[in-house]
Amino acid sequence: MSKITTSQTVGPFSHEAWQWAADACMPGALKTSGPTLLLSGVIYDGDGNPINDAQIEAWIPAGAAEEAEQLIPGFRRAPSGADGEFSMRIPAPGPEAGAAGEPLAYITVFARGLVKHQFTAVFLEDAAGLAQSAILNQVPAARRATLLARQSGDGQYHWNIRMQGERETAFFDYV
Amino acid sequence: MKFDAIEPGVYPELVYPAYKSTVKRGPLQPMLRIEAPLPVTKNIVAGPHILLPHDTDLTAHGDSEPLGEKIVVTGRVVDEDGKPVRNSLVEVWQANSAGRYWHSKDQHAAPLDPNFYGLGKMLTDDDGRYRFVTIKPGPYPWGNHDKAWRPAHIHFSLFGNVYAQRLVTQMYFPSDPLFDYDPIFQSVPDEAARQRLVSRFSLEHTVGTEMLGYEFDIVLRGRDATPMGL
Repeated sequence: MSKITTSQTVGPFSHEAWQWAADACMPGALKTSGPTLLLSGVIYDGDGNPINDAQIEAWIPAGAAEEAEQLIPGFRRAPSGADGEFSMRIPAPGPEAGAAGEPLAYITVFARGLVKHQFTAVFLEDAAGLAQSAILNQVPAARRATLLARQSGDGQYHWNIRMQGERETAFFDYV
Repeated sequence: MKFDAIEPGVYPELVYPAYKSTVKRGPLQPMLRIEAPLPVTKNIVAGPHILLPHDTDLTAHGDSEPLGEKIVVTGRVVDEDGKPVRNSLVEVWQANSAGRYWHSKDQHAAPLDPNFYGLGKMLTDDDGRYRFVTIKPGPYPWGNHDKAWRPAHIHFSLFGNVYAQRLVTQMYFPSDPLFDYDPIFQSVPDEAARQRLVSRFSLEHTVGTEMLGYEFDIVLRGRDATPMGL
């Protein structure tokens, strides 16, 4: 039997303790030198109700190089709002990342009622190299669309997270 | 690093009806086991520049001493091989001695303490050790069911050395009579896994006449780290 320390829910009261890292990537505070895009979305529960006390983290390994001045380079944290909404500004991927099929960002989801954080990843629907993505190719074809962010404007993409239901987001356990 | 599949029972059940808000929030599809090089070899880089002067002394955030029992909490963060997880970000948060969080959504009719916010963060040292000084948190009621009271606990958020080691958990105190009635604690089926969430009283880490010591070691997933632990 594995001797790991097990998980417990983040609960409803993480915000004050987690805010320092969220503040660092708010507009005005974020120090990133290259072009960025805006990723926004809503997190929903199994009834389609927005989750207003989630924490969404994004890790952008390829973006860290452009953010030496940032408190934690290549890292974003955003609490969901009253309507389950979240948004974060993310370095626009260079052509190499797109061609390699790397995700836009590796995502971690936390919430009250979620007893273990969930890993997933988000890809731009129009990225080059989606068909060659090693990660997407490990996701059953019918569920790949849950990981694609749709272009919603110039430099803006929309991506929802669904904890349950027909379009339940594909969540990962890394090998 | 390598991440073996975790046996059933070690993690809490994602949908555990006794903890009501899991019912519509816990994913129903099995997690997909994914091979991806970056999450098991790289991580965010959180250096000492993120730390504030009193991040490891939660009793030093106000104008004077907070109310309650001052304690020190320490432990080692290791991987599944027992190797120290060094230089790794740990965040902690908790209720005050009366069982009230410094948070706008906490409606418990217990007093806030103007000298205690219950927020801290730190980096593990070369031995994987963390240490912080705080006030022993009180139990508090929540709306899950009749007479629902959470056992006293401190929340931990750990970043590990590689991204896939991320963990959020809760540390409990020895012999809490509320364990048997708490669906969050009980949502972990495996008895031994539950007990690993309970800290130990430590005379060794007790500081003279100032504060009692509690020890809480944490084992993150992952084995076969590279020699640098990166």
